[in-house]
Amino acid sequence: MSVSETSSESVEKPNIIRETIIYILMAAVAITTVGPFLIMLSVSLTQNIRFITFPIELVPTPITLENFQTLFARTDALRWLFNSVYVAVISTLGGVLTSSMAGYAFARGNFWGKNVIFMLFLGILIMPDTALIVPQFVVLSRLGLVNTYTALIGPWFASIFGTFLLRQAYLSIPRDYDDAATIDGANLWQNWWHVLMPQVVPTMATLAVLRFMGNWNSFFYPMIVTSKSDMRTLTVGLGTVARSGGDAGLDMAGAVLGFLPTLIVFVLMQRYIIRGISLSGVKG
Amino acid sequence: MAVAGSSQRASSQFLKRLRSSLPWYPFIIINALVFVLFNLIPWFSMFRYSVLKTDLLSTREFVGLDHFVRMFADAKLHKAMLNTAWFTLMYIPLLVVASLGVAILVNRPLRGMKAFRAVYFLPNITSVAVLALIFRRFLSPRPDGPLNFLIGLVGIPPQKWLIDVYQAMPSIVGISLWEAFGYFMVIWLAGLQAIPNELYDAAKVDGANGWRLHRYVTIPLLRPTAAFIIVIATIGALQVFGSIFILTGGGPVNATTTVVYQIYNEAFNFGRFGYASALSILFFAMILIIALIQSRYLRFGDDVY
Repeated sequence: MSVSETSSESVEKPNIIRETIIYILMAAVAITTVGPFLIMLSVSLTQNIRFITFPIELVPTPITLENFQTLFARTDALRWLFNSVYVAVISTLGGVLTSSMAGYAFARGNFWGKNVIFMLFLGILIMPDTALIVPQFVVLSRLGLVNTYTALIGPWFASIFGTFLLRQAYLSIPRDYDDAATIDGANLWQNWWHVLMPQVVPTMATLAVLRFMGNWNSFFYPMIVTSKSDMRTLTVGLGTVARSGGDAGLDMAGAVLGFLPTLIVFVLMQRYIIRGISLSGVKG
Repeated sequence: MAVAGSSQRASSQFLKRLRSSLPWYPFIIINALVFVLFNLIPWFSMFRYSVLKTDLLSTREFVGLDHFVRMFADAKLHKAMLNTAWFTLMYIPLLVVASLGVAILVNRPLRGMKAFRAVYFLPNITSVAVLALIFRRFLSPRPDGPLNFLIGLVGIPPQKWLIDVYQAMPSIVGISLWEAFGYFMVIWLAGLQAIPNELYDAAKVDGANGWRLHRYVTIPLLRPTAAFIIVIATIGALQVFGSIFILTGGGPVNATTTVVYQIYNEAFNFGRFGYASALSILFFAMILIIALIQSRYLRFGDDVY
């Protein structure tokens, strides 16, 4: 492997012109992805800006936080931020833990209905969730659960994809561990928590990051199940800001507020995100 | 006597099976409850409500299969289906080409590739609300708006973008591409890196290089990855909603009303929850059929799925 890698490198190394062209192309693509975010940040820190007009000064004079103050004063942005953090954290912890439990049961258990339940779960996995939004709303409104955290968190409290992912992870652990634990007198819960789960922590971390990002960025479902402003998540709330036609400074302050948390998670957990996509991509 | 013995044996076996099964149910009970409440019950209620005319408040009457008959004459629905097809047909080829091109570009042992990959992935971590906040401003119809200024540099006159009947949908396609190409780049990269270097070396020995190397090694071996990407990207494209909801509200003049947006409209703007449920069934069947045809026609390799 390393031999062939060095050989392909030695073929490409002398070609300086080609390399330069590649770097120029890559830089051009990079400008299109980073540029809008830089302008977003710059405009959010600019005083009294109604429209984004080009050419633009990337470093505004003076730099001001007025747009953020206006955002927090005029909208429920702080409340939306709290809702989003609360909903995303509970959803992520709950979803990962229940996936870990169910994944363990499907990997190790031998119980009635196991295969039937497993097939049912597979069936849900292929269902497009937007097709189910209207009936979900109908059921939730009949149960009086519209505008509640239960509605926002509920569907995220279990993950079929996560259950499959963790089932695979548990299946890759040799049975010897279970046998040894049983001999030492561990019951199923102790075997799961103390013996097997520590070995699938990387998979659980991957799932956690994917779930957190997915929940934070979800829009359609949380918009449907909340009608009161103070129950909205940040993503849904910012959607109303975008539709309300305020000035550019306010809009970009909102965009920065919505973007920063996901950026922080991405920077810290990038490895897990890429791993998760590769897992879901290659394994289906 | 013998009968009693065997039934006793059966019942003791039953007890044994029960005893070995019971401890496992607590592990799946939460999953099962969430599944029943948020999937199974809505699934059944979708069928039940599809034959009712109801606004969830006062009206509630049985209409049989009227809703399904009505779909044939629903011009707005037909327009929405055409729009959804139009979006998907523009989006998928561009997405496949762009994300593969970028993946091949960054799949080299050059310095700084990891940083470039991370930067390309950035748009994908943003929510649709952030996306809409930014692009509503960038696609401003003003002559000095960001995109109009940039195309002005190469002599193209200012465009109306999202508020133009013909440009609105292509604009949404562009925004969706910007958001998604980094994600699919990662999947392509996983596929590219699964190709053994020995194959390239062998092809080089046989005299292939540059484009021919890609034509005869990369592309054939990426077929399963391509099939996977096309299927999941299509399922995603058929469900496009958020950016349209925020940016155009289905307009101008229904130019961006997709099927999902129309379902939303029927339910939440007109209060026709019965008809919206029937449309949801239609939509679900549509996606299922398209995905099945695609996976059959594109033939996944054995190593995928």
